[in-house]
Amino acid sequence: MRLSPVARLVGLVAFCAALGACATTPVQPWERAHLARWDMRWDPDSVQTAMKQHAYFSKEGSSGAIGAAGGGCGCN
Amino acid sequence: MPRSSASLTALLTAAAALLPAAPSPAAESDESNTRASYRFSEYDENALNGPVIGDPQRYRVLSQQLDVDTKLDGGAWGLKLDATHEVMSGSSPWFVEPDAKGRPVQVLSGATIRDHRSALSVALTQGPGTSANTTYTASYSAERDYRATAVGVEHSQPLDAATTLGYGGSFSHDLLRPTDAAIYGRIERATKNTASAFASLAWVLDRDSVLQAGVQLNLERGFLSDPYKLFAYGDQVLPEQRPGRRTEAAGLLRYRHSFARLDAALHLDYRYAQDSWGLTSHTLEASWYQSLGNGWRLVPSLRWYGQSQARFYAPFLIAPEGQRYYSGDYRLGTFGAFSTSINVRKAIGRWEFSLGAEHYHSAKGLALGGGGAAVPALVDFTRAWAGLDYGFD
Amino acid sequence: MEGCESTEELCSNSLYPCPSVLLRVRLLSERKMPLFRYAFSSMGSPCEIQIEADDESIARAAALKAQAEVARLDEKYSHYRDDNWLARLCASAGSGQAVELDEEAANLIDFAAALHAQSDGRFDITAGALTKLWDLQSGRVPTRADIDTARAHVGWHRVTWRRPFLSLPVTGMRIDLGGVVKEYAADRAAEICRNHGAQHGIVDLGGDLAVIGAHADGSAWLAGIKSPRNPQRVHASVELAHGGLATSGDYERVMIVDGKRYSHIVDPTSGYPVESFASVSVLADSCLVAGAASTLAMLFGVERGGRYLRELGLPYLTIDADGRAGGSRAI
Repeated sequence: MRLSPVARLVGLVAFCAALGACATTPVQPWERAHLARWDMRWDPDSVQTAMKQHAYFSKEGSSGAIGAAGGGCGCN
Repeated sequence: MPRSSASLTALLTAAAALLPAAPSPAAESDESNTRASYRFSEYDENALNGPVIGDPQRYRVLSQQLDVDTKLDGGAWGLKLDATHEVMSGSSPWFVEPDAKGRPVQVLSGATIRDHRSALSVALTQGPGTSANTTYTASYSAERDYRATAVGVEHSQPLDAATTLGYGGSFSHDLLRPTDAAIYGRIERATKNTASAFASLAWVLDRDSVLQAGVQLNLERGFLSDPYKLFAYGDQVLPEQRPGRRTEAAGLLRYRHSFARLDAALHLDYRYAQDSWGLTSHTLEASWYQSLGNGWRLVPSLRWYGQSQARFYAPFLIAPEGQRYYSGDYRLGTFGAFSTSINVRKAIGRWEFSLGAEHYHSAKGLALGGGGAAVPALVDFTRAWAGLDYGFD
Repeated sequence: MEGCESTEELCSNSLYPCPSVLLRVRLLSERKMPLFRYAFSSMGSPCEIQIEADDESIARAAALKAQAEVARLDEKYSHYRDDNWLARLCASAGSGQAVELDEEAANLIDFAAALHAQSDGRFDITAGALTKLWDLQSGRVPTRADIDTARAHVGWHRVTWRRPFLSLPVTGMRIDLGGVVKEYAADRAAEICRNHGAQHGIVDLGGDLAVIGAHADGSAWLAGIKSPRNPQRVHASVELAHGGLATSGDYERVMIVDGKRYSHIVDPTSGYPVESFASVSVLADSCLVAGAASTLAMLFGVERGGRYLRELGLPYLTIDADGRAGGSRAI
């Protein structure tokens, strides 16, 4: 079966929303000590990530994280 | 000070939001008001194996990056400045031609390219550290033959205690002025514009894990070909031709799981993208963040990337049938890549040192499902970096 | 400022000690820098800000700003006013309608919810009806029926709290943040003094202390903890260089009926008073945390409260019903 990209994305989001909704026991603010750790950030080392993404960006057909994209480059 | 008991940690965590001046128990050393980071890195591509014409020595890039992250107006705003300077040298894939038996031979640019790139980016965040915040970004990147200007905005908003919505958009205007245009019959001046919109939802799953799902749409318009790439079109060698528009949709999943007892965290990222050129890609990345005590941190990572080729990709066309679009750029072919990296960090007082390396290997066999035309110029590279961070009050 | 009636209500409905442990702050060391004192009355308690400064205008400006902040918090979180969000919340109780809270109020509610969970339901900002029932001036033990009626209006677990929306399920139910606001106000006042150039000083809100900064010569402030049964006497003195000190206790508020002693510390999970310490004082990096620790220890009662304090590891001092002191070595 071949799905259009939009259909795939809708499926992905629906799956995640279902997963999120399944988290039945709410985590209270005082139970978030682990979540507040440095190593639990989405991007703990943004300087490192920027450099890494730049290398992939210039060598792959499609890459990049979700978020505001910077400009391109003339990289070969 | 001895480690806090569980009940004290619970009490301090509960009170944290009401105590802006007090350090929270989970606060880390990099919570200083201003942080300056410097990174030096070397990127080195392996020489090409297989039949080549020209210098098989490929690209080498030395980069320096300086990043300053600070708070303004008593913490109401966060400002991040990033300056990058890169020096590039080496030869790059030019086009592929068939040998007598129709097998691909990679032709590399004869003259060694020497260029440098300077980039500056600014990010201003309103309400950093709060759950609802907005970030405005602007960036500029300049090379001898390429200029890119981009702006963006991003907003994050909690929907309830466990869910956070993020969304934003960005726009980039790129100007190409290829060198030696007259000699090689390249386009003299061209532009392209890229607009992006994205949205994400993040959920707190339990006290140790969070999940984020995001979608992104990128629209590219303008001159999307690589002005330096040629294409063996029958018995002619012509500048490659790509469509003037490209629409890409991507979905991203990010998962973080804390193993606080081990002083570690697992990061899993997955990205799927599909574009109007027929190119689809999967990216899967896993990292393990391990604290070792005494300020040591170790982060090993694994990454796999796989893509299927664009509809108009071919290494060359022996008997063209009036194709409108054609490109032999290896970045549009079917291939996969596997990379391993390690990063070591050591904090000493206000200083933090980091050292790391990555090896990237790409091959046709690493693609999901395989198939597709030959891609002779696939790249293997090694990246190594060293960095120094300093936190001010 | 609010009158006597409201003061009484504040005291009877909440756990924090009003006139009970007014700590005397005094100085031991020689100082070159003059000390300025600003006394006022707020949150039903006598309050004082003491600042050491070379320039009186700096001390006065800082103290005035801090005092204004305490007054703001008093107005915003007094449950006996009829013109604030708590009054609106109270009026909407049972209607199914929610009141939207601002960031600060939501943080306080989150904190109270955390304390409720960490005390297995003993710390409860909806417990007002029960505490009032056991109002000690009445001199009688309420009947089981009375207690059950009161308990129908009590129970944080029945409240719908989806930050920032709060709604009370039953008409007549109310929220009393008195158990945390005074300590929070002390921390805020100290913070504001620091932000306005005061470096050395201490804030005292009815016995809840928050240090602005140690004495100019670097020495700690000295606080006296009064004896619960004999408020004229200082039971112990404590050195405070930073952070806060808070005391919970049932000073002069013990009822004896038929030879049985009833404290005013009511456990909302059972509806009956807890046999607890006469007072618990805790030192912490903030008055808020010190206050929460001492309140929870009071609510847990002598045995579990003692264990809780030892586990916390914060410096503390307890005085039991017979006047015997206990505590960590640090005090």
